[in-house]
Amino acid sequence: MDLLNIINNLLKIIGDWIYGLVHGLVGNLLVTDLITMGLAAIILCTFAALSFMGLTYAERKIVARIQDRIGPNQAGPFGLLVPIADGIKMFTKEDTTPTAADRWVYNIAPLVIATAALTAYAVLPLAPGVVGTNLNVGVVFTIAIGSGSVVAILMAGWGSNNKYALLGAFRTVAQLIGYEVPMLLNLIPVVLIAGSLSLVDIVNVQSTLNGSPGIPFVLYFPVSALIFLISGIAETARSPFDLLEAESEIVAGFHVEYSGMKFALFFLGEYVNALAVSFMFATLFLGGYNGPIFPPYVWLLIKAAAVFTILMWLRGTLPRIRVDQMHTMNWKFFVPISALNLIILLLVAKIFQPGNAAMPWVTPGVQAMATAITTLIPFLAGLSIASRRLRSQRDAAEALAETRRAANRAAVTTSMGGAH
Amino acid sequence: MTITLQTIIFALLSVVVLGSALFVVTTRNLFHAALMLILSFFGVAGLYVLLESGFFAVAQVLVYIGAISILFIFAVMLTRGMVAMPRVNAQAQLAALVSVLLFVVIVVIVNPTALSIKVLPGASERVLGGIPWQFTTVTTITDSYIKQFGASLVDGSAYLLPFLLAAVLLDIALAGAVQVARERRPAEVLAERELMAAEAAEEQQREQALDTAPETVLAADHH
Repeated sequence: MDLLNIINNLLKIIGDWIYGLVHGLVGNLLVTDLITMGLAAIILCTFAALSFMGLTYAERKIVARIQDRIGPNQAGPFGLLVPIADGIKMFTKEDTTPTAADRWVYNIAPLVIATAALTAYAVLPLAPGVVGTNLNVGVVFTIAIGSGSVVAILMAGWGSNNKYALLGAFRTVAQLIGYEVPMLLNLIPVVLIAGSLSLVDIVNVQSTLNGSPGIPFVLYFPVSALIFLISGIAETARSPFDLLEAESEIVAGFHVEYSGMKFALFFLGEYVNALAVSFMFATLFLGGYNGPIFPPYVWLLIKAAAVFTILMWLRGTLPRIRVDQMHTMNWKFFVPISALNLIILLLVAKIFQPGNAAMPWVTPGVQAMATAITTLIPFLAGLSIASRRLRSQRDAAEALAETRRAANRAAVTTSMGGAH
Repeated sequence: MTITLQTIIFALLSVVVLGSALFVVTTRNLFHAALMLILSFFGVAGLYVLLESGFFAVAQVLVYIGAISILFIFAVMLTRGMVAMPRVNAQAQLAALVSVLLFVVIVVIVNPTALSIKVLPGASERVLGGIPWQFTTVTTITDSYIKQFGASLVDGSAYLLPFLLAAVLLDIALAGAVQVARERRPAEVLAERELMAAEAAEEQQREQALDTAPETVLAADHH
């Protein structure tokens, strides 16, 4: 029992030990805070950066398997040394700067993007009592800090002084700002039920809600969870939303002029962001570190890894979508359906609020079922309407093309007939 | 005035805010100006953090950096000749006057005696090099202030009217943006083209009239 307790609270015990150690050495609360917080920040950033190495390997292997390839298998056993080889390659590459570049802007952009990506981990609750900083506005913080990467991408696009980089930056910003809207709209229900903007509180509510066992929010809001996940993928600009680096259209987008470690920082930013979205999804919708048997931090890792696997799966199977398709999907489907979703959720969650004397049979479970069913129906209806409309549009376009082809054929045959 | 760590950090943040703001108005490169404006906004967010108002700090970053600055940069990137802009325009003196007046108003309004300073319990423990962390009038800011803030926005006796007015303003702006950016129907495009053609024809006529006018004058002289 004691051992179990130690294992479950391992992170907190280590943290408390370090805090006590530093306090004993320094004997000053403020300095102790500064040193321990600095240490925590370094550890979190290192964890994120190291996970980047692991993720690149895992993604290559898994995507390769999905596409019926073997993937990296030469460097080390099972190709495990590939990330290290990549790192060495990145270090030894020539660090180029275009002559016409806006030097300061060009050089700072990769730092800004990496910083913005790493900062999101500051508010992530890893285990009970283990969180970088328990901000009472944690949810909004993670969204706000994401705007740093938008600025960085614009800086890279402009600073490179390259038309493809600039076009890529424009595309990205349109995409990131657009998909922020459904993302925020689908965060609101979570915040409303949890009654707090703090990520720690949101996790706790999913463990116990007013004395009864809590329910992961994905069961409350399946539609919101789905739209949040898709917008999250779009926010990190990963496949199938990687239009900012569509090689066939704009070479490599905003980072076309970057090489060596600067390019590696952009790459790191992408992966760290994707992992942050996985962690956020696990925290907001899958109950965070709550779970039976395993220690809390292991549960959080399992959940985040599961979400990241979905991202890899999508990357391995789906082709890149077109720019107009992406914006149409966002503005004409996600945003209206999210708004409708929100209105329905507000009404249903209020009607089926647990603790109502007139309806004693209403438990959090009943509330969750009510919100889930009432939001799923309009979503599925909207989906079927949208798909039917798209199909009829496609059919019409194909019919038009067919008549044109027929007309062309007829013209060709008549002209040939005339020649005879 | 007693120096605390908070005032030191305030001074550092002020240097960042004012320095970058100064850069914004003196640089001739519009893109650099926009980036420095972002740094300035970030410094202001830092000031909010120093005031223990996390929500407004985050809102500052979300709205001013995430939305308004990005819009600025977009507008700047679509501007021609943005690397060598003149530093001042015709309204510079008027703007300076307004700024000075605003500064005077703020100095008059902020009543220093209202900010009576007392030492926070437990502040003596948080000391760095003999300087305490803070003297403050605010002793507790809890999670509930966001709830109070939210409730006051929909409270008829508090800020309901400004809130609704802001909402209406934003809606009008949104409708205006849609109207400006919307795709024209073919009939409208034709009508616009006709209008433009008519205007062009009128212009041409006027030019012709101007061209011929001196000749007639000359002709009159000859007679």
